[in-house]
Amino acid sequence: MIDNIIHAAVVMTTPVLLAALGGLINRVGGIVNIGLDSMMLAGALFGLIVASMTGSWPVALLAAAAAGGVVGLAMSLAVTRLQANEIIVGLGFLVAVAGLVRFFLSAAYGSSGTLSLPDVARLPRIDIPLVADIPVLGAILSGHDPLTWAAWAMVPVTVWFLARTRLGLRLRAVGAAPQAARALGLNPLMLRDLSTVYAGIMSGLAGASLSIGVVGIFNEGITAGRGFIALAAFYFGRNRPWATAACALLFGFFDAFQIRMQGRGVPAELVQTLPYLMVIVVLTAVALAGRRAKARRA
Amino acid sequence: MSDHAVGTPSFERPAWLGMLEPLGPLVAAFVVAGLVLLAAGHNPLEVYMLLATEAFGSSRRIAATLSAATPLILTGLATAVAFRAGAFNVGVEGCIFVGGLAAAYVGFTFAGLPAALLLPFALVAAVVVGSLWMLVPGLLKARLDVDEVVTTLMLNFIAISLTAWLVNGPLLAPGSANSATPMIAEAARLPKLMPPSTLNAGFLIAIALLGLYALWGNRTALGFETRIAGMNPRFATASGIDVPMLVIKMMLLSGAIGGLAGGIHALGNVGRFVAGFSPGYGFTGIAVALLGRGSALGIFLAALLFGALANAGATIQFFSDVPIEIVDILQGTVMVFAVAQLGRLIVRRRKAA
Amino acid sequence: MQLAETTPDRTVRLGAQGVTRRFGPVLANDAIDFRALRGTVHAIVGGNGAGKSTLMRILQGVDRPDSGVILLDGAPAIFAGPADAFARGVGMVHQEFMLAPGLTLLENLVLAAEPVDGFGRIDRTAALAKARALEALAGVSLDWDTPVENAPVHVRQIVEILRLLYRGADVLILDEPTAVLAPAQVRELIALLRKLRDEGRTILFISHKLDEVLAVADEITVIRNGRVVASLPRSSASRDSLAEMMIGEVLARPQPRAAAAGAPMLQVTGLSARDLRGHAALTKFDLTVRAGEIVGIAGVAGNGQDEIVAAATGLGRIDAGSIRLDGIEIAGLTLAQRRSLGLAYLSPDRAAEGLCLAAPIAENAIAGHHRKPELCSHGVLRRKAIARHVAALLDRYSVKRASDRQPAGSLSGGNQQRVAVARELDGEPKLLVACQPTRGVDIRGIDFIHRCLIDYRDRGGAVLLVSEELEELVTLSDRIVVVYGGRITGEVARGTAGLEEIGRLMLGGKAA
Repeated sequence: MIDNIIHAAVVMTTPVLLAALGGLINRVGGIVNIGLDSMMLAGALFGLIVASMTGSWPVALLAAAAAGGVVGLAMSLAVTRLQANEIIVGLGFLVAVAGLVRFFLSAAYGSSGTLSLPDVARLPRIDIPLVADIPVLGAILSGHDPLTWAAWAMVPVTVWFLARTRLGLRLRAVGAAPQAARALGLNPLMLRDLSTVYAGIMSGLAGASLSIGVVGIFNEGITAGRGFIALAAFYFGRNRPWATAACALLFGFFDAFQIRMQGRGVPAELVQTLPYLMVIVVLTAVALAGRRAKARRA
Repeated sequence: MSDHAVGTPSFERPAWLGMLEPLGPLVAAFVVAGLVLLAAGHNPLEVYMLLATEAFGSSRRIAATLSAATPLILTGLATAVAFRAGAFNVGVEGCIFVGGLAAAYVGFTFAGLPAALLLPFALVAAVVVGSLWMLVPGLLKARLDVDEVVTTLMLNFIAISLTAWLVNGPLLAPGSANSATPMIAEAARLPKLMPPSTLNAGFLIAIALLGLYALWGNRTALGFETRIAGMNPRFATASGIDVPMLVIKMMLLSGAIGGLAGGIHALGNVGRFVAGFSPGYGFTGIAVALLGRGSALGIFLAALLFGALANAGATIQFFSDVPIEIVDILQGTVMVFAVAQLGRLIVRRRKAA
Repeated sequence: MQLAETTPDRTVRLGAQGVTRRFGPVLANDAIDFRALRGTVHAIVGGNGAGKSTLMRILQGVDRPDSGVILLDGAPAIFAGPADAFARGVGMVHQEFMLAPGLTLLENLVLAAEPVDGFGRIDRTAALAKARALEALAGVSLDWDTPVENAPVHVRQIVEILRLLYRGADVLILDEPTAVLAPAQVRELIALLRKLRDEGRTILFISHKLDEVLAVADEITVIRNGRVVASLPRSSASRDSLAEMMIGEVLARPQPRAAAAGAPMLQVTGLSARDLRGHAALTKFDLTVRAGEIVGIAGVAGNGQDEIVAAATGLGRIDAGSIRLDGIEIAGLTLAQRRSLGLAYLSPDRAAEGLCLAAPIAENAIAGHHRKPELCSHGVLRRKAIARHVAALLDRYSVKRASDRQPAGSLSGGNQQRVAVARELDGEPKLLVACQPTRGVDIRGIDFIHRCLIDYRDRGGAVLLVSEELEELVTLSDRIVVVYGGRITGEVARGTAGLEEIGRLMLGGKAA
């Protein structure tokens, strides 16, 4: 039972973690990406289609990443080049991409909302011999797909990227002080576009982890608002990769827990509100702390 | 470039651009959606003609369009009220849920009351609950400068999950398996204006509020203060206006109107509260407020447009194989283009020339 | 091959020739000429509003002159922007520092020119080695891994200077670099600048602090009202001569007062307040303004004037003290409450605070008065009454306009300010706090606004006038209170003291 929950929690964490790491990079670069969910949706759909067409899951992941990246690029251009408000553009993309996806399903497959294809190449599960039999540890480490491993590998990589690489440094500078960065000859808009495309790629992969990893079919509601949970994760983790990952894992546990507890008296819907409540609490706490620090200085 | 002609280039906007401003996003959105239609093998013009006929072709269809526009007028108004004070409330969707549930609860719980009491009671409940739902983000923004976009966005999901829990458990209709409350009493129903159309008295309430909004914005001291505070908070403060208090008030008002939208939807259309109560009226309201540029007439026209699209979109699938989702594509692209500086495309081309 | 000596222009590392920049009716820069020679510290001196910041923006490529050119190595040049200027060796240390928060000092140092290995990874060893070399050059020792937001101000400034050197800039423009520094740090900065000069770099030192200018400069260019008053070597400059050139010949026409001053309208006693950074800005400050009197506050910007205004209007917090308006304690009241007791406030920042440029003139003219019974009943605006009132008011103040409904932003600066003055004097307040009342206003507008203030005083009004225009203070004030470092260094009654005396007090001298 506990092993099942742990295993499910790790599985449910993967899409949130991928999208959250993408959104984190985006936010470090200066854009709050409300539209992560739309990029997940695009990735989930195209990942499934290509997985069925080619029978190859790596190619499917590439397609999912590309689909998410294209949506990310379109959104970024609207924000950086047409100076549109990022929040409204994000909301607009949520509505438009959801519509586009359903339109596409109905126009190309004549189906409403759900797409089930033959010969879908699912993400393989990596079973680790011996470890798999150890309680708890087995559930944590064994039986997960490559995207899960990749997602967790990306956490230290993200830390390293932001702290140690030229691009990471420039991205931080552009997000924190765009004027200063421009005066030094950097191109803030370009760097922001890059970071949004990256967020799109990561979200596209997150979508694929749902469609060809967890479920095996596509459904218009497949993301179930996980793009927003990802948003909550990096808000709650305050842009620090490990803290963000910890939040994603916590939310994954909530998710696994509420699925398990369905019909057992624990209100799943209330568990679902927790990530969102936590963001509001954190924002309030940060604001209060900021005010107290200011009062002390004065 | 010669040395003596290098003053900072300032872009003088041609007058026609200002006049056509609200049309720009519309045209751009219809072009984008048209390309999608083309790609799917439809003739966009034919589809748009069909949509127009379906939306406005007969009095029955017009009634259906107005009925579909009713919640959008209210959510557009709710968004615009907060916008006006400089608060970016994206939480109207949540207010619809909590307001709708409150109205439905009153509607089936106090079934013994006469219509003259029950109906106003239910609507007031929706207003009060919707308003209270915005109290926390309003206070947080005004007092602690916490970003209201994030808090109100998060509250939407909380509202949706919270009401879903209530209608699955404590408020689930006895003997019902799906997530819904009992039906409201007949006395709590908003009277229909043109039976069998779903157009009901809620439309009149929405229009009346639109009128009040216009009067409030142009004629009252509070409306004046709100506009000034939204445009230039420092100026408003120096003029002696308590801007944080105003932000709280307008967030509460925004929530109240959002709650009312939910109440009217529950009492006029659905007859109870069900999970998945609103198909995104609150988000469409943002597009309505943006496209309508905050004016009462603009909000009405934009709500009418989206109402027409939703209504016609629902029926054209019976006559053609055009997927209804073209409406969502239009709505989303309108939102994007409504905030994009389309003028910049023109400027850039000019500079290049 | 030509040698440098035969092309004397080449000794001019950075300069300006006939640089002119106009904003509406205001000539911010009027044919500015200066030449900063290679290997010298060239100071540009002038009071606030003299045109220094416009010139800086032009030298950085942020703004462009209407006419005239920048000289780079003696030849005319145009900078496409700060990055272009930087690429050509001209770097600027800004007043509000341009370091990115969240990055360490080292990261800020190397930003945009990071030493990297083959994988795009920052070569920390190389970066630190360069940082240490620059450290040695500057004679300081820094903890390079400190995040910027934790570093003290003078350290940030040093890092910004070192960043310019790191990027190879050999012209350093420093805009009021000592404003944020303690005296000991000022001495360190000056030593550093001398050292850099001795190594052949060119330094442009913008300041209004004469002692520092005299301590560091080789050449001094004085500007006033957008024009160069003088360019002279340090050896022939003295504190007094510079002060005189900075302040200039003032065409003061003091206006005689119609009646003797009456009862005190504003009484400030024991006022203590801090500036936005939390440093003490006013300590036990006392000030009285009586009915029928204009009291001017003179002082170099940043010596407590902002805090006096914030305390009087309620827009800022105070730590201690009493503020009375016509005898009523108002220290705990909001601006709205103070306004209803008879306070009026003319903001120094017309575009951001004094007016709402996007709103119609009419709305700008009634804001703050809009709840008075003659304009509003039961919360409903009386539109006809307002239209009549506004039209009469704007006519009385000769605001040139096509319509009362046109946006305030479409008016000229002078007419905008007339709208603001009209609004503030409407309803005969007891006290007007007027800050920079004629900033960015053309000559005719200035005369008109001065007339308005004097008429108001003669009707028994009390005016607290804060201005950086000495001419304006002398023209209007019945008494001038001079502040320096948050204290009153002297008080000068109308016609009793020369400008030299006021200038001396402004720069911290004791009253004679």
